[in-house]
Amino acid sequence: MSWLSRLNPRGPGSRPGRSAAPSGPCTADPETCLMVFENHWRQLSWVLEQQEPSSSSDDLAAVRNHTDQMLCLLAEERPAESAEGGPAAGAPMGPILELVVTENILERLVQWHLRRGLDPDSQGALLKLFEMLIGQSQQPLLQHTAVLHPLLRLLGACADPDLGCPLALENSLVLLLNQICVSMARQPVVLEMLFRAAPAQQGSTNLLIFSLLVPFIHRDGAIGQQARDALLLVMATSASNEAVARYIAENSYFCPVLATGLSALYSSLPRKIEVRGDDWHALRREDWMSVSSLVLFMNSLEFCNAVVQVAHPLVRSQLLDYLHNGFLVPVMGPALHKSSVDEMIASTAYLDLFLRSVSETSLLKTFLRFILLHRHDNDTILDTLLTRISSNSRLCMVSLSLFRTLLSLNCEDVMLQLVLRYLLPCTHVMLSQRRAIRETDLYGKSADKFLSLIPECCRLNAASSAERDEDGAFWAKAASGPGVESPAPPRPSTPSRLAFFIRQQSGGGGPGGGAPSTPAGSEPPQSGASHPPCPDSPMHQQPANADGLDWDSGYLDYLKDSRRGIEVCSWACRDWSAPYDGENPSPSAAAPPPPASNPASNPASNPAMAMFPEHFSLQQGGGGTPPPGQRMAAVVAAARSEWSGSERDSGEWDVTIGKNNSISLTPRSKKRSLQREEVPRLVPSSSSSTSSSSSSSSSSSSATHSSSSHAASSPAPHDPASVGYQATCNGTAAQEDGCSDSRDRGLEVKKVKRDLGERRYPDENANRNGSLATCSSHGRAAPPPSVFHDGGMSDAESPRPNGIPCRGAVGAPASDGDASKPRRASSDPPEADRAPQSVESLIRELLEQAPGEPPLPGDAGGGGGGQGISIEAFTQELRELEERARERGRAAGRQEESAGDDLSSERRPPPQEEEQQPPSEPKPPPTGDPKADGPALGLGSPARPLNKPYTGPFMVVLFAKLENMLQNSLYVNILLTGIVAQLACYPQPLLRSFLLNTNMVFQPSVKSLIQVLGSVKNRIEAFAASHDDFPAMLKKAQQYLVARGKVDWADSPGAVPTLRRSDSLVKSRKPSLGELILRHTNSPTRARHAAQLALAHVRDGGQSLHSALFKGAGGASFIEKQAEALRVKNAVYCAVVFCEFLKELASLAQEHAVTLPFPHGHEAEE
Amino acid sequence: MNLNPFWSMSANTSRTQRTDGGEDQSGHGEPRASPARLPFGKKQLPPIPKNATPVTKPASTGAPAPSANGTHASYGPFYLEYSLLAEFTLVIRQKLPGIYVQPSYKSALMWFGVIFIRHGLYQDGVFKFTVYIPDNYPDGECPKLVFDVPVFHPLVDPVSGELDVRRAFTKWRRNHNHIWQVLMYARTVFYKINTTEPLNPEAAVLYEKDVQLFKSKVVDSVTLCNSHLFDQPKMEDPYAISFSPWNPAVHDEAKERMFTCKRRPDDHHKGSQVSGLSWVKPGSTQPFSKEDGPPPS
Repeated sequence: MSWLSRLNPRGPGSRPGRSAAPSGPCTADPETCLMVFENHWRQLSWVLEQQEPSSSSDDLAAVRNHTDQMLCLLAEERPAESAEGGPAAGAPMGPILELVVTENILERLVQWHLRRGLDPDSQGALLKLFEMLIGQSQQPLLQHTAVLHPLLRLLGACADPDLGCPLALENSLVLLLNQICVSMARQPVVLEMLFRAAPAQQGSTNLLIFSLLVPFIHRDGAIGQQARDALLLVMATSASNEAVARYIAENSYFCPVLATGLSALYSSLPRKIEVRGDDWHALRREDWMSVSSLVLFMNSLEFCNAVVQVAHPLVRSQLLDYLHNGFLVPVMGPALHKSSVDEMIASTAYLDLFLRSVSETSLLKTFLRFILLHRHDNDTILDTLLTRISSNSRLCMVSLSLFRTLLSLNCEDVMLQLVLRYLLPCTHVMLSQRRAIRETDLYGKSADKFLSLIPECCRLNAASSAERDEDGAFWAKAASGPGVESPAPPRPSTPSRLAFFIRQQSGGGGPGGGAPSTPAGSEPPQSGASHPPCPDSPMHQQPANADGLDWDSGYLDYLKDSRRGIEVCSWACRDWSAPYDGENPSPSAAAPPPPASNPASNPASNPAMAMFPEHFSLQQGGGGTPPPGQRMAAVVAAARSEWSGSERDSGEWDVTIGKNNSISLTPRSKKRSLQREEVPRLVPSSSSSTSSSSSSSSSSSSATHSSSSHAASSPAPHDPASVGYQATCNGTAAQEDGCSDSRDRGLEVKKVKRDLGERRYPDENANRNGSLATCSSHGRAAPPPSVFHDGGMSDAESPRPNGIPCRGAVGAPASDGDASKPRRASSDPPEADRAPQSVESLIRELLEQAPGEPPLPGDAGGGGGGQGISIEAFTQELRELEERARERGRAAGRQEESAGDDLSSERRPPPQEEEQQPPSEPKPPPTGDPKADGPALGLGSPARPLNKPYTGPFMVVLFAKLENMLQNSLYVNILLTGIVAQLACYPQPLLRSFLLNTNMVFQPSVKSLIQVLGSVKNRIEAFAASHDDFPAMLKKAQQYLVARGKVDWADSPGAVPTLRRSDSLVKSRKPSLGELILRHTNSPTRARHAAQLALAHVRDGGQSLHSALFKGAGGASFIEKQAEALRVKNAVYCAVVFCEFLKELASLAQEHAVTLPFPHGHEAEE
Repeated sequence: MNLNPFWSMSANTSRTQRTDGGEDQSGHGEPRASPARLPFGKKQLPPIPKNATPVTKPASTGAPAPSANGTHASYGPFYLEYSLLAEFTLVIRQKLPGIYVQPSYKSALMWFGVIFIRHGLYQDGVFKFTVYIPDNYPDGECPKLVFDVPVFHPLVDPVSGELDVRRAFTKWRRNHNHIWQVLMYARTVFYKINTTEPLNPEAAVLYEKDVQLFKSKVVDSVTLCNSHLFDQPKMEDPYAISFSPWNPAVHDEAKERMFTCKRRPDDHHKGSQVSGLSWVKPGSTQPFSKEDGPPPS
């Protein structure tokens, strides 16, 4: 833990430089020093004695002068030699200290200063003096009340509301406090003294030091760090002191400030994460280090983590309570439910980052409990997040990334909620098959089945490489290198199989986990001279292959990775409460899984549910159960004042307002108190500044877009009069939102459409089926306007006569898609009208847009303005173009979706699903909340019979997504398959059999992984059959991936090795795939660099697929070609990933059969 | 059935493809590899470790009829290896009392073993043996088990030392029969003597007619076996089980390690920082049902 390590050096041997260098005259002779000191004291006391506090500056100067000298002497003094000779705690005081104590010198000094009125100058001087004294003193000073009390008096003055501590002195004050805490950590008795030291003297708070430090908890920079260090020392010191802990918990604001501070800091985080990398899906350290608000937040979160780690259980549990009720529930919850896709992306990425950053188990538990159990508008956070996977944008990637993080925790509770509880009843398997649940793939049947799904068309490639090592097996293949031009090097005699056995044995109880390639001590008798030292890892010997075709090598590597993955996972799961093998927990004992679409059906079963109020705002006064209401309010107020100065934008708290119906509006308004300060800042961003403070929250989300001309005109969301209106508009808001995400978020759109149809705008109904496309084209119009602008926009608007006023009323959250209009109308007309150009010109244009500029609106992926250059962005844009193209046809003929059917069904199965489903589906009462739209997945519809076997929303959404692999972008597929593979690592027979046992017979209604994969295979083959150049494209895709993997590999050598895979393709599966094309884009140079890189990709032929198409063509055919190119590209990449995925699954199935379980933790722990 | 046809076929197809393709740099590799392989016929696993005489033969598992261009069938060797590995894993899981086995270095199809008899007529016997697994495992016959020194036992061939395993596994059924059962059987015969259709009629007759003499012969046999305990392994293989007198310098440390060392994932230390998270109360299926202390982290 960085905190402690950071603290430790400062503990015992603090400031060696200063204390170890005894300087000055005093070192020589204690006698002399004492005489000098006495001399100073005599003169000083003369000044101090004077009754009427003179205001003469002479006096002051004299006092200061003497004080300086004296305290220096005091600090330098060594403790007197005790009789025993050791400088133990009981060592007698040195003579100077003795004098200080007996004469009560410091007390008189401070009193004098206070009497004459402490001016900041002297206050600072005193603070510095004391800091020097405590920091450098050779003997323990704080144990003496003669030192401690004046110190506390001084600090009391700093805490005095009248006097206060001037801004300039904060540094000195914190430094002094830090010093005090350091010496306290060294002499825990001081804590007790501080604590006991006459509350009378200290006023209301016992632990003055503490209350002085608390306000600095979340401070930026060194001062905040010192304060946090100091507080942490207090925490650690008080960990065993019940009284102090109780005081901290009951009488200090520490925990609430910490928690609400997080809330405030969170609200200042960027509402939208601007990334240009098409593969970006998670915040990494490099990403957030450059974002100061995020750094600030992470510091505080890290601090929370550290406090939880070291503090007394009392403090810890209180802090956790506050974090749950004061941060997660009231802030994180709504943030995750924001209506704008950008904000969803941001908050999901933040949550992911937080989860990855938290290391303390109990803090993690708090987060997980929030995610799994807390219900926001009737849905658990988990449910909400689950539905996001089905989106098609970056939101999907970010959500997948979050789930990957969750899975990587190997937490039983998470897995239970996600998957296992649905599998527990075993209703998904035929009754006769239940006993097979525990079986492993002993003879490679399942593995074979998986491998047999590698499409014929992709095997050509593999076959040709198999030809190179004609023995077919991949044992030595990698070693010989698949490169056609390199003559196969002498095959290393590779006892890889033997290595497996060795490992197996050592795994079986022998020592040494490593896999010695040759048996220790004994050379194989017949071995020739030549066996390489590391034969069991052929990939190490891979010759650098210019061709980059080493991608298909290394099934062995997959096996090794799988082994490792399974071992790590089963080791991590060894303390789970049950084996989940179909018998324990017993299928009958398991509660029936709640219906997917009605997660609320199970609320009573969660005791924690009752414990945690849904809406913090309702109880903000007493939200944390333990603290009395007013105190909480005071704390909030304190926090507010604490943060009021800093720049941030607001609105985090009101997220749900724009999205939900009026019910939740009023109670929430209280929270806005923390945000009010923002209002003035926001107003300018709206074109007409009628906004009330309350609208600030809703407009805030658009503040980043700065283009929403409608925001300001929105009625106050919690204005009762406007509620009805608002409610209607909510629908539109959501719709806009959905639009902005195109059919990724079609689920929202759909529902919203319903709302609309049933409410205010009947004419919307006419457009119901078509409006999806309308919306999306609408919302997406912007990103690369120069290229893609055509007539579609006006068409898009035409069928929605009421859209604009409504949107205007709704305000900013809705304005994602909207923003393009004002933008087009006002800000950037030239760009909008520009004709499509080459890729280069597009990139040039994008580059000309500074990243700081308002990001292009309407971007579904949340990638912001830079997206236009990336593959993913192309994907999205092209989809959008398709839609627009279709829609144009529709607008002309006023036809419904059928007009574009063949086009759409061919190109976009997901939208097709979405488009077709809504009418046939039973419609849940419109909640205005788009998130819960499970039915859009085509599964788990509300109508689902309760007893029908159901494998849970997670599996369903993953499989649905998987089935759609051909249309997914490369990065989605990489994440997706990674998650499924991660799931397949779990050793629990229920899960393992569900995913990997291909012989298992499931109930007809349950889709198996193998079925899903089979359908993908068919699609790939159908695709390949229709494209003559498929083999060539496949090869190119492989080359590109390998190359990218390599660059990536070299790019960040310091990254976690566990994420690396030997196989370069697999390697590119790791989360940070393709980081070379940048991450965060706050810096213009980075953006430029990234764009250039992207351009290079285009130029070097790696992307020739679309670069060829980008040039030349224009107009409608251009768009069509674009769409086609994208479709082809996704499909080809999909084929590559698919084959690798199958190998991975096969290897997992095989490895499960040979993995030994780990004993329970308490047996195995050392 | 086994995959031999496939292997030859796969080689053939690749050869034809090569000639078709014209360019074949990998052809360089092939002649080199082929001579090494040819002596052993097409029956060996592709990677021949250490030029050892392979006992291994290609797998006949999963891949039924190899698909047209046979790519995925080329994973076949993995299936055999992994089937055997899985069998070995099962053996470990069974924790058979007094039985230790170790696959050979040269071939996964040959396992070395030793069995300690702790009571009964054969008490104190330490019998080394070798298990030979048919190369068409698991679709072939049952494995053979041959004692290094022919033990005096009705079911052990007095010349070859082979145990009559087949009587217990008349038909080897994959999924039902496992190698640990063979090992278990080998142990049982020493506790529960069966004399029907003996391989060693003398022993059978003696056991029926003159148990005392039988016993003394058994004692002789046990003594004989134990006297050969420190012999070099019959098979020259690095993983062959060999005994040596207790040497504190070597064995103390090894013993210590066996008792203290806990198995961990290979790179456990850099793995996830939190693991073993569970707040589920045993018996419950509700998350966070365990409200007491934090789990071990």
